[in-house]
Amino acid sequence: MSPVLEAQGLGRTLPGDPPVTLVRDVSFAVAPGTFTAITGPSGCGKSSLLYLLGMIDRPTEGALLLQGENVAELDGDARAQLRLEHFGFVFQFHFLLPEFTAIENVMLPMRRLAKLKPAEIEPRAMELLATMGLAGKETKTPDRLSGGERQRVAIARALANDPMLILGDEPTGNLDSVSSANVVDVFRMLAHEQQRAVVCVTHDLGIAAQADVRISMLDGRVVKVEEA
Amino acid sequence: MIDRLLLLLDIAIKHLSRRKRQTVVAVSGVMVGVGFFLAVSALMIGSQNDFIKTLIDAAPQIIISDELRSPAPQPGVRAFPGSMIAMHGYKVRTEVRGLKNWPAILRAVNAVPGAIGSPSLTGGVTLRVGGREEALGIVGIDPSVETKVSTIADKLRVGHLRDLERVQGGIIIGEDLAQRLGLGMGDVVGATSASGTTRSLRIVGLFKKGQVMMSSSMGYVLLREAQSMLGRPFIINRIGVKLPDPYQADQISKQLEGRFGYKAESWEDRSSDFLALLVTRNVIMYSVVSAILLVASFGIYTVVSTSVSDKRRDIAIMRSMGFSEFDLQLIFIIEGVLLALIGVMCGWLLGFGLMNILGSLNFAVGGENQHVPLDRTPRQYAIAAAASLFAGGIAAWLPARKASRVDPVEILRGAA
Ligand SMILES: Nc1ncnc2c1ncn2[C@@H]1O[C@H](COP(=O)(O)OP(=O)(O)OP(=O)(O)O)[C@@H](O)[C@H]1O
Ligand SMILES: [Mg+2]
Repeated sequence: MSPVLEAQGLGRTLPGDPPVTLVRDVSFAVAPGTFTAITGPSGCGKSSLLYLLGMIDRPTEGALLLQGENVAELDGDARAQLRLEHFGFVFQFHFLLPEFTAIENVMLPMRRLAKLKPAEIEPRAMELLATMGLAGKETKTPDRLSGGERQRVAIARALANDPMLILGDEPTGNLDSVSSANVVDVFRMLAHEQQRAVVCVTHDLGIAAQADVRISMLDGRVVKVEEA
Repeated sequence: MIDRLLLLLDIAIKHLSRRKRQTVVAVSGVMVGVGFFLAVSALMIGSQNDFIKTLIDAAPQIIISDELRSPAPQPGVRAFPGSMIAMHGYKVRTEVRGLKNWPAILRAVNAVPGAIGSPSLTGGVTLRVGGREEALGIVGIDPSVETKVSTIADKLRVGHLRDLERVQGGIIIGEDLAQRLGLGMGDVVGATSASGTTRSLRIVGLFKKGQVMMSSSMGYVLLREAQSMLGRPFIINRIGVKLPDPYQADQISKQLEGRFGYKAESWEDRSSDFLALLVTRNVIMYSVVSAILLVASFGIYTVVSTSVSDKRRDIAIMRSMGFSEFDLQLIFIIEGVLLALIGVMCGWLLGFGLMNILGSLNFAVGGENQHVPLDRTPRQYAIAAAASLFAGGIAAWLPARKASRVDPVEILRGAA
């Protein structure tokens, strides 16, 4: 299957004296329906790479192909629009907006994209929360939810616009083992049953073991790519 | 597009609802600014209109007098036009003072639609009562026409203008002059003109005290009376003109002057120093109001600015979700405009209340109970709203630019 996202010699160097290179010469492809794990020691550049893949940061070298088209050179608005339509992010901390209830948080990306009719947005948000096992907690604000619940709301929000790509940066890093296993199951389901591409940075070797593709990094480089 | 604005509005409202106290402070700043602007401007404009109305109504809007802007050429000069000979020391011809072809001027004035001209003759006499003398300027008028041209009839404490026609040798003088001379209604006073004629005049009316436009040393008599007393039969030296639109005065006075050569002075001309004063007053008022609005916009700036720095994390989240830089900027501009908008509406209420209080005040001037003159036009409400929204927009726009510059990578990295 043709890759949905492909890095070609991707590099990121921070300007300065001396310049700091966070990511160098990274090339790999992500296919739909696969769960990819990125591992490596702390400070090796995993998060930096994920920001590049998610078009949050801009590479200083190389190309990033989204469905075969280079998006590395696009301007800010075009990148924002692509993030909105095609990417869902889950971070280590839940990163929900504190003033909004669970369901309002899930509705935000849909309202911004405005592809669905306003009347369709709320039912879909309810459905997503229900799939995450959060039925009945829709109107709670994040401070009334447990850590695991918040993270599941964040996943529901990441899925709101039905993205091709789910990117996670240690999404289980703050969770107990049960919640953590729960999240991993969801990720595998998103890849295998919904044919999305899931890329997940993790420290947890147990999680990495469940991935279809394992990418090991060291000092800003990809040193090993293993396929299960 | 509407949906998107509603979404951003929703976010802005949620942000503000989290900082209620600051919101209240910022809103009250705008409210006080708008409220006081409305009250002060209603007062300023009201009194200004009142004042201009007094200027317009008290005296005729155009006064044509027998002065020439430049002296008439002497016969000797007229006899040799363009000559090389300069003449000196010849006897200057004595001109008969007065508006020469005044019936023609009057016809020209009355030909302007809605305009009325009232001819009069002014001159000086000396009043004599029991050995006391007082100089008095007398104005000979046609009462039925003059009432249409000026408001002198309203200035009478006692008597009527038309009594001048009923009583032989009737005169109307100021209350304070009468007091000085110890005269009252119906008393007879002797008047001697410069030409030596002496008449007995009977007081048929008194003007109120303290009229700005009415000199206390002016007396009104019948035109015929003035002409014979001053020894100038059939002569008038002044035409007062009332126009349907007072703001045409300048233009029409220039036309009349160009046509007849006599000085025609409009009310604006006559009171240009007062009008200049009004401009100064307006400048002062608008600078005070701008200062208030400036202070009010500091409040808005503070709220939006702290909101931006508190929400850096949320800004990064929204950016990673796919909100554009412009979206983020707009959220915070909306916050500022929202504060201004609420402030404006509260300020409208405050201003409305203040105006009602001012309007209910009574104060006494010259023994008359008067209301504070207030101008309550929707225009002032609109100006206050526009100025506040503009100031609020600018005050929010400055920190909002910071919101659009937040680098999500930096925040995400710092938080993770
Ligand atoms: N602004 C910066 N200036 C200098 N160095 C930076 C900056 N940002 C990140 N780095 C460095 O870049 C390297 C890569 O950072 P990154 O966050 O990508 O690592 P990571 O693999 O995600 O680590 P962890 O597992 O601890 O999250 C680190 O060594 C970090 O110190
Ligand atoms: Mg990291």
